[in-house]
Amino acid sequence: MTAPAARSVKPARRSVLNWLLGAGVVGWAASVLHPVLRYLRPLGEAGAGSPLRLSTEELSTLGKSHFVIARSGTRKVIVFEAGGELRALDAKCTHEGCTVQFVPGDSLLWCACHNGKFDLDGRVLSGPPPRPLMKWVATREGNEVILTMEKA
Amino acid sequence: MIEAERSEAPASPGERLYRWLDARFGVGRLVEFARHKEVPVGGHSMLWYYLGGTTLFFFTVQLVSGVLLLMYYQPGEATSYESIRYITAKVPFGWLIRSIHCWSAHLMIASLVVHMFSTMILKAYRKPRELTWVTGFALFAIALGFGFSGYLLPWNELSFFATAVGTDSVKSVPLIGQWLLEVMRGGPDVTINTLYRFFALHIVILPLAMVAVLSAHLVFIQVQGMAPGMAHQRPDRPGLKFFPDFLARDLLLWLVCLIVLAILVYLLPYGPGIPGMEWELGKKANPLAPAYPGIKPEWYFLWIYQLLKEFPAHLFGMEGPQAALLVVTVLMGIWALVPFIDRRARKGQPSPAFTDLAIAAIIFMAYLTLKAWDIGGKGLPGKLPDPRATAWVCAWITLGLASGIAVLRILAYRQRWMVFSGAALLQVVLNGVFGMDYLIAGGIALVFVIAGLVVASRKQPSVQVGVPR
Repeated sequence: MTAPAARSVKPARRSVLNWLLGAGVVGWAASVLHPVLRYLRPLGEAGAGSPLRLSTEELSTLGKSHFVIARSGTRKVIVFEAGGELRALDAKCTHEGCTVQFVPGDSLLWCACHNGKFDLDGRVLSGPPPRPLMKWVATREGNEVILTMEKA
Repeated sequence: MIEAERSEAPASPGERLYRWLDARFGVGRLVEFARHKEVPVGGHSMLWYYLGGTTLFFFTVQLVSGVLLLMYYQPGEATSYESIRYITAKVPFGWLIRSIHCWSAHLMIASLVVHMFSTMILKAYRKPRELTWVTGFALFAIALGFGFSGYLLPWNELSFFATAVGTDSVKSVPLIGQWLLEVMRGGPDVTINTLYRFFALHIVILPLAMVAVLSAHLVFIQVQGMAPGMAHQRPDRPGLKFFPDFLARDLLLWLVCLIVLAILVYLLPYGPGIPGMEWELGKKANPLAPAYPGIKPEWYFLWIYQLLKEFPAHLFGMEGPQAALLVVTVLMGIWALVPFIDRRARKGQPSPAFTDLAIAAIIFMAYLTLKAWDIGGKGLPGKLPDPRATAWVCAWITLGLASGIAVLRILAYRQRWMVFSGAALLQVVLNGVFGMDYLIAGGIALVFVIAGLVVASRKQPSVQVGVPR
């Protein structure tokens, strides 16, 4: 190798080393960050979306206050009686996630946080919610009430 | 050195200690620095120089009362609410410590907000103090984080839904929204896991961040000194000595703050009862209860809360909350970067547009906050507040407030530049008085701003807001 050639190679070698060093640092940072970021996000809970049976306590609340909110895994479902028919909808408002309530006098579901209103099928009547509430199917089997997700 | 020590004996013990420290750490330089430290006089009222200090004072009260609360508070599904009830009902002076912590939190934020607005209006952020402003903005954000995380810790109904709403908005962050939501909540919903995370945030992470950023903020102020008034309004006058003159006034004001705090805590231990400024424990959080009417975040979040209500379900292909939070983020971003946008203040020239921007921000937030309180729209019991009536009354109150400020600015300060505040007021009037949709009114106000800026730059080419060319 001649002298001028060696001189021209040197900076390239330095930049390759710098690049390798940089990649090493990034790799190291990623290997430290990945477990931490993964650790921070909790595991999902099992049982979401499976059929739900109302407890006797919940049934008596339903009788007394026109509606009851039950939990199925991570979902909350509001069950209410309107026109002699048992209905069930997602209880979580699609706007900012507050829990809605049934207003029997006005035959609507109302979210107190930002004044969102839904009809009895979960469609948005007024206010800021961007999507309807998801429907559930509530069926009576003898003395029991079973809730299942409505198939899309 | 030893020779010198011997020759100057006998000295008092204090003097000997000082010499001992000076020989090792050069304390003399610090004393020399302190001796020459001055506060500028004459640019504007001295009052504005004390507000950082009062904020610091209330923060210190927070640290002490917070540590005292920690002695009894137990985070947990069956203990959070119960331990706070135990503190306020059973522990000797427990009500006092909790009330001090709550009151001082609100006073700290209030003091911080006034400090920030006065810094904005006086242009104290201008070169070379840009980073003091940026660190100050970071401290503001941390303080809001303190308020938000502390709100959940009593685990009562109010805090539960306020946290549900506040964290839910995180999902609209692009790409990482869902991840961030679950990390904040410790799961897809607000549960006791959320409280554990907020507890860690409130008592470890945020205090560390606060102390770190606060140290930078204070070091910057020591190195550069407090900002004098703008050159064009400052007569040459000697400064006020920091030691002992300014410090003595500082301490006196802190004493007044402590007395005011004590009076408030004694007379209104559960807050003044304004929505967003009350801390009656109420009922324990029940994740399966519906949100009840009157759920409100703390007063300094009310304008964002109201903005979420004003946005429709969908806007420009985004969901309403996402669009609302984008607007808030952009406004906050502009606010944080003001020292870099305001080119005239950097050169020490009058910068009326940015004074007006601060006034516009006050009008904008005041109107939304008044609306969030449902002022003027409270119907009969059992009826929902009427948004139309609320908007009408709140618009007139805001109009009165804004006119008062405008008259004061024109008569006392000879200010004429009012494009931003005029636009903010235009939106208020169109929405509240004429019943126009809030966003359409905002759009018209925006057109007004653009037209105003064009006219202003034609009339006087030097008055520009620093829009890069």
